Amino acid sequence: MLRTVKPKNARSKRALEARGPKEVEDPRTVIFVKGTQTGERLNVIMQELMALKRPYSISFSKKNLIRPFEDHSSLEFWALKNDASMFVVGQNSKKRPDNLIFARIFDNRLLDMCEVGVENFVSMKELKTPKSTPGHKPLMHFSSELFDSHPRYAQLKTMLMDMFNGQVIDSICLSGLEHVISVTVAPTPPDLNLVSSTSFPRVHVRTYTFKMLSSGVKTPRAELTPMGPHFDLVLKRDREADEDMMKAALKRPKIAKKDVENGLGKKRKNFEVDEMGDLRGRVHVGRQSLDKLQRKKVKALRGNDDERAHKRAKA
Amino acid sequence: MDVSEILAAQAEKQKSTAVEREIPLEADTGLLTVTDLNPTDPESYNEGLEAYLQSNARDGVQALLNALFALPSTQSPDGPVAKLLPPITQLPRAKPLPKPKPLTKWEKFAKEKGISHRKKEKAVWDEEKQEWINRWGWKGKNKEFEEQWLTEVPTNADIDHDPSKIAKAERRIRVAKNERHMTQNIARAQGESTVAGPSSREQRKNEINRTLATSRVSTASMGRFDKVLEGEKKLKGVKRKFEPAEVPVEREKAANLALIQKMEKEPRQKKVKKAAGDDILNVRKAIRATSRGKGSVALAKSSGGGKAKALDRHK
Repeated sequence: MLRTVKPKNARSKRALEARGPKEVEDPRTVIFVKGTQTGERLNVIMQELMALKRPYSISFSKKNLIRPFEDHSSLEFWALKNDASMFVVGQNSKKRPDNLIFARIFDNRLLDMCEVGVENFVSMKELKTPKSTPGHKPLMHFSSELFDSHPRYAQLKTMLMDMFNGQVIDSICLSGLEHVISVTVAPTPPDLNLVSSTSFPRVHVRTYTFKMLSSGVKTPRAELTPMGPHFDLVLKRDREADEDMMKAALKRPKIAKKDVENGLGKKRKNFEVDEMGDLRGRVHVGRQSLDKLQRKKVKALRGNDDERAHKRAKA
Repeated sequence: MDVSEILAAQAEKQKSTAVEREIPLEADTGLLTVTDLNPTDPESYNEGLEAYLQSNARDGVQALLNALFALPSTQSPDGPVAKLLPPITQLPRAKPLPKPKPLTKWEKFAKEKGISHRKKEKAVWDEEKQEWINRWGWKGKNKEFEEQWLTEVPTNADIDHDPSKIAKAERRIRVAKNERHMTQNIARAQGESTVAGPSSREQRKNEINRTLATSRVSTASMGRFDKVLEGEKKLKGVKRKFEPAEVPVEREKAANLALIQKMEKEPRQKKVKKAAGDDILNVRKAIRATSRGKGSVALAKSSGGGKAKALDRHK
């Protein structure tokens, strides 16, 4: 742990504040770390993943003797030093060729890790097609029932989402959408269970740019072109998140009243937007009580005349 | 007039953007992600992998675009800007939620009394100068009396009456008061955060008292002939305490039984330091004697060297 620093001037104070916890967080900065052995292919894989993540990525280009599954203290140290909260560690060995370890950090401590092997890699340069603009937000597409039912795949899904699309935004320019990262799992074998690591179906990661063609209706029709990088992932070791830590990491800020009224954070009941784009609301008026119903006063219902005359005489 | 053709054309257009699946795709527009929970179709997967992946991704992108274009949007020069819904998928945060700032004494009081805060503008309009000037700080309004070139002096003023000096002193007092309140607020906030244990003030007081007591008896006469300062309290020593002469029978019995038990117990032997060996020779002492205090390494060297020399001589 670094010593707690008290800022001495306004500039360093601002810098510290920028690093401090925030209600709405910045996108995760990812550090790409090279292990002791990285082949040429793995270097390219990491370079291109970094290209997709730019500008929120840092490259550690020197070799590092690091085995995150045995000792993750250096990851935590780097996270603190660089204000980063995610790591991609590349390591090539005979036992695990072209290995990537995705690691997430919470509060400068390791949250969880997921190890994958990369296969059938096709570089961005090999495909002579148009590429996306750096810094543009990608769409993400996940396709398999396993992303919902299997904890390992669910972890991989949130890991990839956190990496490329973790930032919470409130609006986006629709014409700026130009590429998609598609993640599809191979057909599920019938004997897949929660623990066995031998028979995990492969994960195909593909990136496409898309064009929005006019379709005659408001929504355009999408047409995809392969962009690269393309690769398949094989799930290997993993380290699940500590339950308490995950709970702390999933805590949401209390939403201000104004935002709640705007419909943020909660489903607004009885509101709907109709085809004309008008907001329509429904109001429930409660059960009507017929006893207290005020009717028109009719002379015939006022009681008999004698009583009234008696009352008048009393007064 | 036959409109069936036009209707058919319109339906065809609609069809091109519609995505039909067994399980409808889940679009999480807040994170620009779409999840297709339909299991991967093994037949088309095996037939042509890349073609299948691309068409699958296209459907996903189309579903997400349908969801995005259905959102309320505003026009901008670059195209429509869609207002996104809050994210559905819960991604872990990178840092814990920020802690709420502790209230100052005034803020606490105002909250209790329901006093609403009226924010003061930092700058005020000066009628004479016809410009905005700061309330405080550089060329601030609060220095007006110090800097004006002409000040009214009361008739009975002293000869060394200096209005600007007085105004400056008053301002300095106000600043000091504010600073004092600020430090007190900080101290209070820290005190609240450490609930357990005595407060830091109490702790400091005890420490000072202890130091004072020690220093008072730290003279040659143990403080007996020291000059007693005004208001100095008499040093209190530790009072001896005795057990009462009469105690309840049970307690007396318990005490006696404990004593008897203690006497019955065999005295625990202290760990006897084991000698280097069981033999009578004290190796350490012997080495010291033969090497004349130089140690075992020197002895080994000299004996080895000696042997070599002796052999040489034999030749």
